[in-house]
Amino acid sequence: MSQASPSSAAASVAPVRFSPKRVWTLAYATMTQLMRMKILPFLLLFCALVAAMGFGFSTINPEQQLSQFKTMSLGVLQVFSIVFGIVATALLLPKDMEDRTLYTILSKPVPRFDYLLGKLLGVLMLIASGLVIIDAVLSLILWLQQSMLFTSAVSQLHSENQDSPEAVAQIREIVARQGLTWNLHWAVWAIFLKAAVVTTVALLLSCIASSTLFTIVITFCITIIGHGHAMIREFVFQPNLGSTATRIATFLLATICPDLAQFDVVDSVANGEIVPWAAVYEMTGIAALYMTVYLFVTHLVFVEKEL
Amino acid sequence: MSDTPAVSVNHLTKVFKGHLGKGAFRAVHDVSFTVQPGEVYGLIGPNGSGKSTTMKAILGLLNATEGDTRIFGIPSMEVASRRSVGFLPENPYFYKHLTGRETLHFYGKLCGMSGDELKSRAEEMLALTGLEDAATRRVGGYSKGMLQRLGLAQALIHEPRLLVLDEPTAGVDPSGSRIIRDLIIEFRTRGITVLVTSHLLEQMQEVCDRVGIMAHGRMVREGRLNELIAVENQTELVLENASPDLLAKIDALVKAEGGGTRLLRSGHPRTTLERLFIEATNEPKKP
Ligand SMILES: Nc1ncnc2c1ncn2[C@@H]1O[C@H](COP(=O)(O)OP(=O)(O)OP(=O)(O)O)[C@@H](O)[C@H]1O
Ligand SMILES: [Mg+2]
Repeated sequence: MSQASPSSAAASVAPVRFSPKRVWTLAYATMTQLMRMKILPFLLLFCALVAAMGFGFSTINPEQQLSQFKTMSLGVLQVFSIVFGIVATALLLPKDMEDRTLYTILSKPVPRFDYLLGKLLGVLMLIASGLVIIDAVLSLILWLQQSMLFTSAVSQLHSENQDSPEAVAQIREIVARQGLTWNLHWAVWAIFLKAAVVTTVALLLSCIASSTLFTIVITFCITIIGHGHAMIREFVFQPNLGSTATRIATFLLATICPDLAQFDVVDSVANGEIVPWAAVYEMTGIAALYMTVYLFVTHLVFVEKEL
Repeated sequence: MSDTPAVSVNHLTKVFKGHLGKGAFRAVHDVSFTVQPGEVYGLIGPNGSGKSTTMKAILGLLNATEGDTRIFGIPSMEVASRRSVGFLPENPYFYKHLTGRETLHFYGKLCGMSGDELKSRAEEMLALTGLEDAATRRVGGYSKGMLQRLGLAQALIHEPRLLVLDEPTAGVDPSGSRIIRDLIIEFRTRGITVLVTSHLLEQMQEVCDRVGIMAHGRMVREGRLNELIAVENQTELVLENASPDLLAKIDALVKAEGGGTRLLRSGHPRTTLERLFIEATNEPKKP
């Protein structure tokens, strides 16, 4: 073969670089694709549900009512965002493969990493926008409820002739602590971070298996295991429990599964405890680290993948 | 880009691994060919002979088990090699929630195009493939032939120097496939290299400069079309309105001539590429 030294010809060609614009194109397409899967009605249903919950409870006492409302709605929100992240991700990649849209996309000068990142960002952007909307709705409901509860409590005190300034101030303080604070937004942020980590795991699994059902089932298992991370670690580091083999297996499991309990601030938020800034930073950092590692592994798998 | 081949395939072998090590399948076996710039190269062969697999390897969608493939000298596995190539896969499909125009914009942006340049290029491609009327309709509602045309428009959006077309006429009606044939001829005059597969041999014979015939994953014939289909020691007479009498006379003449001359056959002429195809692909399978 007397080709004009192909290696030198190849060397003179500039490699295709990572391009945020291209990733955005892919992410935007992913987002619109998911929107067409009738996500919006779901979101509205959720908002209606939360609103009904907020106003539907019988008044027990102001503190409990507010706290219960937050626990319930944030809990539902957490489940909703994780389920959405897993299912959407599990559907996307196999669908692109089956439809052969992947052929047309990857036969353009598109690095496979850009494609992966685009898909992930698309899902995350949709989750984020959903959460922003719901955060706004929650805040509104909480604020309304807070003022309603405050006036009713004060009028009750008034009718009992006990509305001393101190008593009113105390009620205001209780209601304000349980009502709308920054804590609510941090809780929503934590929910987003957890969903983002789980979504990245789902992307990794769907790259390995390219089967929707497998991805969904296994990611759910990992999510559940991830919540019991502390328990697993305890088991591994207890010297007198289980055989070495099971301990090694459990240790591996703990290494593979993300420690999702890191993101559980919902309880403390519901109890009206203040979430410190440091905790928010830490949470965000941990999530970023997990996602970087999973995305890197996903990339390694996807680059070698036969389409 | 003086004499760098547009496509070079060197001893390409592709083995698909089966499940759990069982049922490994050799789809392409030691195939080599080159496509020179400006040439129209036709890859033909029966179903399952490995044409699409070869194309996917050229585009870096599949890893070669052995051998290598290059586009304008750049190894296929490098993303940069795809700057100058447009690919139409077999039975293409697109995001069904986008319209035809949005689809072209999407692919254009993936190639780094934007703004007015992209818009005018997309309109040009819609006009070229006759999709202007359907441009605002969702791709989900496109017919097979329309998808095929959109696939062609998408492949051309970034003005590639090389086009790889996997059955561009599948599912396209006769006049549509004629249009595609004319397009390919036009690409050649514009200096675009084309690598194409098709089962419409008559059309392939009209457009291709060179062909490769594949069977059972191997290249069984390869070369310039004219040379391949010319049979030096045979002559074909094509008569119009010949009476049976005349044919009988000719037959008698030939017999009277004696020697090595024989009338091999008479009847309606077949496309010669088709004849070659059947002959080449029906040869006994090599081990
Ligand atoms: N991903 C895959 N896994 C396993 N086998 C495959 C895969 N892709 C293709 N094959 C096999 O490789 C062989 C060649 O397939 P290919 O699609 O290249 O044929 P083709 O020449 O394009 O046929 P057609 O004319 O029908 O399009 C077939 O036997 C096919 O079953
Ligand atoms: Mg094929």
